[in-house]
Amino acid sequence: MKLKNTLSIAVMAALLVACRHLDVPSDAQMESRLPKIYPDYTEVTVPANICPLNFAVLEDESETVARLTFPGGAYIYGKNQKILIDEMEWKEMLNSAKGKEIKVEVFAKIGDTWKAYQPFNIYVAEDSIDEYISYRAIQPSYVAYEKLSINQRNLTNFDEREIYNNMSVSSEKVGQCINCHSYKNFKTDNMLFHMRQGYGGTMIVSNGELKKVDLKTDETLSAGVYPSWHPTKNFIAFSTNKTGQSFHTKNLNKIEVQDTESDLILYDVDKNEVSIISELDEELEVFPTWSPDGKKLYFCSAHFEYYNDSIEKSAEMIQRYKEVKYNLYSVDFDPDTKEFSNVEMIYDAADSLGQSVTLPRVSPDGKFLLFVQAEYGCFHVWHADADIYMMDLNTLKVQKMDALNSERSESYPTWSSNGRWIMVDSRRDDGNYTRPYIAYFDKKGKVHKPFMLPQKDPYFYTFYLRSFNRPEFMIEPVNITPQQFAAKAKEDAIPAKYADR
Amino acid sequence: MKKYLRHIYLFAFITVAYILLPVMNADYLYTIQENNVFISGHTFMMDIIQHEGGWITWVACYLTQFFYYPWLGSTILIAMWVVIYWATIKMLNISNKWSFLALILPLLLLYHLLDYGYWIYYAKLPGLPFRLTIIVLNYMLITWGVLFMTRKIRNWQIRGLVGISILGIIIISFWLWPTSPWHFNDKHRNSITTTLTDKNFKHELRMYRALDEFRFEDVLNEMPTKGQVPTNLMVLYKNIALMHTGQMDRMFETGNCGIKPDTGDSLKIRTSLLGAPIIYYMFGHINYSYRWAMENSVQYGLSFRSLKMMVRCAIFNQEFEVAAKYISLLKSSTFHRQWAIEHEAWMMNSTTFFQSKEYQTLSPLLSENTNLLDGDDGLCEQYLLEYFSDLNHPTTPLLENVTMCMSLWAKDYYAFCIHFYDYVNNHPNSPIPILYQEGAILLGNAEESPITLDQFRFDDIVTNKYNGFIQDYNQLLQQGIGEKEMASRLKPLYGNTYWWYYYFYNDFNIY
Repeated sequence: MKLKNTLSIAVMAALLVACRHLDVPSDAQMESRLPKIYPDYTEVTVPANICPLNFAVLEDESETVARLTFPGGAYIYGKNQKILIDEMEWKEMLNSAKGKEIKVEVFAKIGDTWKAYQPFNIYVAEDSIDEYISYRAIQPSYVAYEKLSINQRNLTNFDEREIYNNMSVSSEKVGQCINCHSYKNFKTDNMLFHMRQGYGGTMIVSNGELKKVDLKTDETLSAGVYPSWHPTKNFIAFSTNKTGQSFHTKNLNKIEVQDTESDLILYDVDKNEVSIISELDEELEVFPTWSPDGKKLYFCSAHFEYYNDSIEKSAEMIQRYKEVKYNLYSVDFDPDTKEFSNVEMIYDAADSLGQSVTLPRVSPDGKFLLFVQAEYGCFHVWHADADIYMMDLNTLKVQKMDALNSERSESYPTWSSNGRWIMVDSRRDDGNYTRPYIAYFDKKGKVHKPFMLPQKDPYFYTFYLRSFNRPEFMIEPVNITPQQFAAKAKEDAIPAKYADR
Repeated sequence: MKKYLRHIYLFAFITVAYILLPVMNADYLYTIQENNVFISGHTFMMDIIQHEGGWITWVACYLTQFFYYPWLGSTILIAMWVVIYWATIKMLNISNKWSFLALILPLLLLYHLLDYGYWIYYAKLPGLPFRLTIIVLNYMLITWGVLFMTRKIRNWQIRGLVGISILGIIIISFWLWPTSPWHFNDKHRNSITTTLTDKNFKHELRMYRALDEFRFEDVLNEMPTKGQVPTNLMVLYKNIALMHTGQMDRMFETGNCGIKPDTGDSLKIRTSLLGAPIIYYMFGHINYSYRWAMENSVQYGLSFRSLKMMVRCAIFNQEFEVAAKYISLLKSSTFHRQWAIEHEAWMMNSTTFFQSKEYQTLSPLLSENTNLLDGDDGLCEQYLLEYFSDLNHPTTPLLENVTMCMSLWAKDYYAFCIHFYDYVNNHPNSPIPILYQEGAILLGNAEESPITLDQFRFDDIVTNKYNGFIQDYNQLLQQGIGEKEMASRLKPLYGNTYWWYYYFYNDFNIY
């Protein structure tokens, strides 16, 4: 009986502690600055359907409380240093604050004193965001790779799963490198990714049907590398590249990834045919991307002449790596005849500015083109000076996107399907690990302060030792299972045919 | 006496295990711990447990940390083996007389732990000392539980069926679960002799740790003086210690002829994995040190060793945010927390950093600011030899010595000549170290020599010794003595000279 009573009291006490009513301290000292929080969600603009923006307070406090006030009321959260927001309540806040803001007041107990920091707002846009993104989870390594996966993440909650994991079919000497996942019109019934080395080939899902093809032909440099799906036809433009890596002894960029040769090809998925788009001897063409109407192909190209016959091309490229600068081009395309015509340089970055342009992406309305610009080279994810720029395709005027950029590398810009959200890969956190940042691009063309992809645990990024490589928006999940991809990966690749133009 | 037999067997086993583990192989166990990682928190846990058998791996990684103090980790492990011993006796109801049979499993587990040798760097088995033991314990507990629950079933056929089913499940899961924690590397291993008897292997482990802790004298003390031929890696470690104690010109008199370890199995030893991060770090090649710490952690799994190297490199490169990230991980560990706090202080207070022994030691090598876009093709030693041999006009006395010694080591006499002229011009009134005299005399007497000897004053003792060497060499040559025999005969007199190295060390097997 005595034991029963003791147990009852203990259970009651535990329940009381668990149901403790959270309130903000009434006697807090006001601080004249914003709180230090991680990730930095102060004054960001978020989609109306984003998952909760959980954050940690970094004020060396013992306790933290945050009050989130929205048009329909307020909720209070706090747990040690973390502010973990209930998902249902967050949805209620977003619905109520659409087109308005959620006011966040942070209180931190430092020693015996509670401090209240200047409140900040989280602005909730009227526009929603595509439900999914996918990215390659990769350690920021150099040559070695072991476990790589392409993951898909639901942006409206924290669900994440692997699309494909390279360890599922092979490892070590016959291990695979997987890269360059790409989708047609943000949907997943036409998508692809590439596998190198063990069980190599390009995995293509065409109208929901999965196949594995070998895009390397005797007439082309390599298999397809950087892809872009044509928006209306079943074509994919690829670059073909001979790529090498070399390493800086002092420079903190640490690594250079260089193409000694590169061309552009067009792959007709239905006919399984590869044809050449551009293979000029002294041009390094790369990063093709279609306009939304499919009538223009944008790409980057660097003019580079090898003049030292006594050494390998790769050795000369290493010696002259700073001379490799890419310009932005467009070429007209007739989707019915597959004819390309009228190549035009639309942005002279190399000669006029001494700069190099890569990774172009056209907005879904066809009005704007995002790209990355840095001093030299093509692999700007490793270049600290790499920043995002935007071109107005009507005027061809270019502006630097200050709101998106940092002192460190920004790369892989991409648009959401409604054109209202821009996602970039940024190394602003620590210079080494890329993280996805999402910014609102409003109807007036203004870019708002970006926010880091939210995670359930605010400290996730501190402990996560992989980069989010090449993040892409998707409006639906990939439904082919990793096991189905793995089974197909083990099959022989179907060799593509070469079609002369 | 019979009554205590099971205790006597157990006592004997514990004694043997303690001798073989913390007494004889403390450095081996410490290195296994360094190649392991355990980080408190959800992210690391989820990363591990999402794989089959992940919980076992997670617990094994946690326990492997305790080998930071080899006696402590060994005590935990041996305690688990004792449980297995007693459980076996109880389950199978083994009599005192036959109780030694219950030691079969613990002995196999002990053998398994010692059977790694150089594989401790290559085995992608986080928590390897404990994994198999935990699995065995796990199955024993399950079996014991089943036997306990079925103890009232009198029908021995049913009990037998249960027993066979359990055995079947174990065997089938072993084969069907390819990434399970008990599926060990299928490469042939036979490394217990390396672990127990290869002195060079043990020297390498100790030299690495001493180097890592900047105990250069201890590195030098590990170098065998007579009889035993060191490995290339030992030579490299030794020369680093000489470099940082101002004695690099003693590199040939302290033995500079290394061999590649013969592991006797399919293992291909690579310096890039065994020591490249610390080697590059010690030569002030911070980017390359970081690179190999990262590459190794990608290829063979994250480790405390790689994390600590990446912290140091990030601090030297003033990449404080990424250093803070790695420090956060290390601070969540049990035994590396203090190390992390000390290095965090380097970031917080630059004076502490600039006054640290590491910075003071390495800073003379960091003054060379020219950036090169380059690559080592995985051959760290060769890269460093070529890099420093080709380095023109070194800016500090240490770099000056390094370039001279490395060009001699690489037998790159054109590079040596350039460095030699620089050296004598920069130090017109100083005596030329004996090693450089030996190098200059040798090359000055070579055909098509780039050095004119007339302008230098060499010590008579060096000149006379060289003349003696050439005379003896020619004499043996005329007698038709083979090179190997000649090397052996000339070694007592000239083994500590550059000439002997230059003439007879032609098996420079860089790996």
